[in-house]
Amino acid sequence: MNKKMAKCIHENLDSILERWEYRMKDVEEERFFHFMPDELIDKTSREFAELMTSNLQYSEAINPEKLADFTEKVVRFGWSIKFVNKSIENFSDITFEIMEEEGVIDQSNVREYMKTFSKWISPHRNSIIDAYAVEWERTVKLQRIALQELSASLIPVFEKISVMPLVGTIDTERAKLIMENILDGVVKQRAEVVLLDITGVPVVDTMVAHHIIQAADAVRLIGAKCMLVGIRPEIAQTIVALGIELKDFTTTSTLQRGMQEALKLTNRKIVEVEN
Amino acid sequence: MNMRIPILKLGDILIVSIQWELDDQNAIQFQEDLLNRLHSKNARGVLIDLTPIDFIDSFIAKVLGDVINMSSLMGAKVVITGIQPAVAITLIELGIRLENVMTALDLENGLDKLQIELEA
Repeated sequence: MNKKMAKCIHENLDSILERWEYRMKDVEEERFFHFMPDELIDKTSREFAELMTSNLQYSEAINPEKLADFTEKVVRFGWSIKFVNKSIENFSDITFEIMEEEGVIDQSNVREYMKTFSKWISPHRNSIIDAYAVEWERTVKLQRIALQELSASLIPVFEKISVMPLVGTIDTERAKLIMENILDGVVKQRAEVVLLDITGVPVVDTMVAHHIIQAADAVRLIGAKCMLVGIRPEIAQTIVALGIELKDFTTTSTLQRGMQEALKLTNRKIVEVEN
Repeated sequence: MNMRIPILKLGDILIVSIQWELDDQNAIQFQEDLLNRLHSKNARGVLIDLTPIDFIDSFIAKVLGDVINMSSLMGAKVVITGIQPAVAITLIELGIRLENVMTALDLENGLDKLQIELEA
């Protein structure tokens, strides 16, 4: 049975793929088949078919390396998990149709076929989806690391004055990172004033404010002063509306004014030179 | 082993450098010693340096807070220097904010701050 099926699929691979591509194009929100060059689609489809039929021919588990290769590729192409699932479903539907047309399956052996078929497709689907999930998690993790590297660096601007510009939403994990970076940076750079610039933080809620206050307190403990700068009008409104107390530390609307304050605190000022 | 923490006098400032992690008994001993010294030398300022300490538990943190409050009761200004980032995070997480204490990055800065504070 297996051999018969494999032979039939192999012989009709082109028509299977043709139908498969045609059906996949109908899947909603699918960009891959519309924007990618034809050769690439063809190549990927062939790889997919090969992967699908590989364990039918050799009746063994799928080659894990091939599987990993393939999933890595489709994650990069932006195939969603829904789309992958749909691909497998369509593929199995089409092979069934083709085999029926070719007369490999008839009334007498349909039951036996179903057995083989379920033994073939189900483990396949599981392993492909598993591999996809693993690959996806890996991608997300890499992106998170990349994001962390980009965010929260303490920049020494003047002697004794450092600035940390914050961009993007702050969650608990990031707040921890920010706190560690500030404290380590202050000690390393021997900063006396730290300006925390929240111009790029879209929302300041009680949680974010709590983290900022904690960071400011910790900075005070190690012997520096923390200032909150870049408070936009809407942020000021939310802070007051939420009843968040920021009395304990200096706040200014722009980094510029914050810098002036910081210079004042360290007994310095910027003067224009005479010509 | 009962290692007492040395308390040095410099002008009218007492300088304490805590060099090793204190256990509970040592911490209490330190509290008594410091207050006695403060009384006998009639010092006006206290500087506690924590640079070598990279771990602090809630009891030690509480004792430290107490010592600071007691010293200010006895009319001395206290400055704490060299709190390590990890220690600062622990203190904040324990909810110990040491609100009315001066802090400085290191001994030098601390002495400057204390001097300014005492002259004022």
